[in-house]
Amino acid sequence: MSQEAAAVAKPKRFSLDAWAVLLAFTLAALVRAGVFKHIPW
Amino acid sequence: MASSAAIAQVRPVSPALQFLKLMPGVLLLAGVGYAGKLLEVNVGKYAKAHHWTFPNIEYVLWAILLGLLISNTVGVPEIFRAGVATYEFWLKAGIVLLGARFLLGDVLKLGGTSLALVAVEIVGAIAFMTFLGRVFKLKPKLTSLLAVGSAVCGVSAIIATQGAIDADEEDSSFAIAAILALGALSLFTFPLIGHSLHLTDHAYGVWSGLAVDNTAEAAAAGALYSDAAGKLAVLTKTTRNALIGFVVLAYAFYWASRGQAQAVGNKAKFLWQKFPKFVLGFLLISTLATFAFFSKEQIGALANLSRWAFLLTFAGVGLRTNFRTLSQQGLKPFLVGAIGEVAIAGFTLGLVLAAQRIFGW
Repeated sequence: MSQEAAAVAKPKRFSLDAWAVLLAFTLAALVRAGVFKHIPW
Repeated sequence: MASSAAIAQVRPVSPALQFLKLMPGVLLLAGVGYAGKLLEVNVGKYAKAHHWTFPNIEYVLWAILLGLLISNTVGVPEIFRAGVATYEFWLKAGIVLLGARFLLGDVLKLGGTSLALVAVEIVGAIAFMTFLGRVFKLKPKLTSLLAVGSAVCGVSAIIATQGAIDADEEDSSFAIAAILALGALSLFTFPLIGHSLHLTDHAYGVWSGLAVDNTAEAAAAGALYSDAAGKLAVLTKTTRNALIGFVVLAYAFYWASRGQAQAVGNKAKFLWQKFPKFVLGFLLISTLATFAFFSKEQIGALANLSRWAFLLTFAGVGLRTNFRTLSQQGLKPFLVGAIGEVAIAGFTLGLVLAAQRIFGW
């Protein structure tokens, strides 16, 4: 059972922090590229 | 049957399905946050139109209050919980984007001052919480968790330390509950104290970042005072977060030397694993902004994206705080936490007032 579990359970590639950084940099790149010109608040 | 159920639990879920599961909760965060924004504008307008004297309540407080109302009355249904738990993700993305509003020179200058204050705060908080834990005869590892939680960065620090010192899950949940309950209280007490002492935005922001333990609550407590105070609270809290690895490493050594935790092998790897990566993201965006990689309009757009991310965080702070659940976690750890937090808040306030005089904030 434990082997089966180990076989199907994949280790996480990225931490929560890494995903947050990735999202922030993607958004920054889109803003820099002019895809998002104005973000209202 | 039991075996197939166990296998079903670990069966990998497709990323698309995982994403879909988060959507209801994320939409709830957005809805509560946006409702907070609408309330800020419309309640003020309504009060003015009817000649009422009504304090200007910022969207931050409305979003938190709405979240608290839902969480403590009807509760957050299961379907929303996974998405609501993403509020920390939005917080970290928001902090990285906030880097665009700081020039690197300011970060180094403010971060340098904050670092000195943070170092004093960490040493003082750990020493005092350890003393309190002994006085109240708390379990030693629970005392360690409370000390780390109140000295460095709340829930993340407690979870990191729990793994490093082989502490019980129960101790960890006691410490987390105490830190979260006290964080919720600080949202209402800190702005009142700040206003009654006429603290400047700078002094109040640094104080919130030094004294409020969880990053989401520190950001919210700062933003409740003013936008500038919110920025400084996040910067100071981020400086505290950056030191998490060193404090956890010291505790891991301490408990390993007593034979009650596994020895740490590769110290550099340990520090890297515990280091909050969003701090690097914040510094990198700040560096790019310093070297004019973004235009003025683009920096404005990034700042607004950061505000939207924080809006989801503030809604999440309210939605995940359930006072009944927190009150069930035991009085003693809460009492130790409360006494410690009041002492740390007073101590850090003294530090900030002294720094205000020296640096002329």
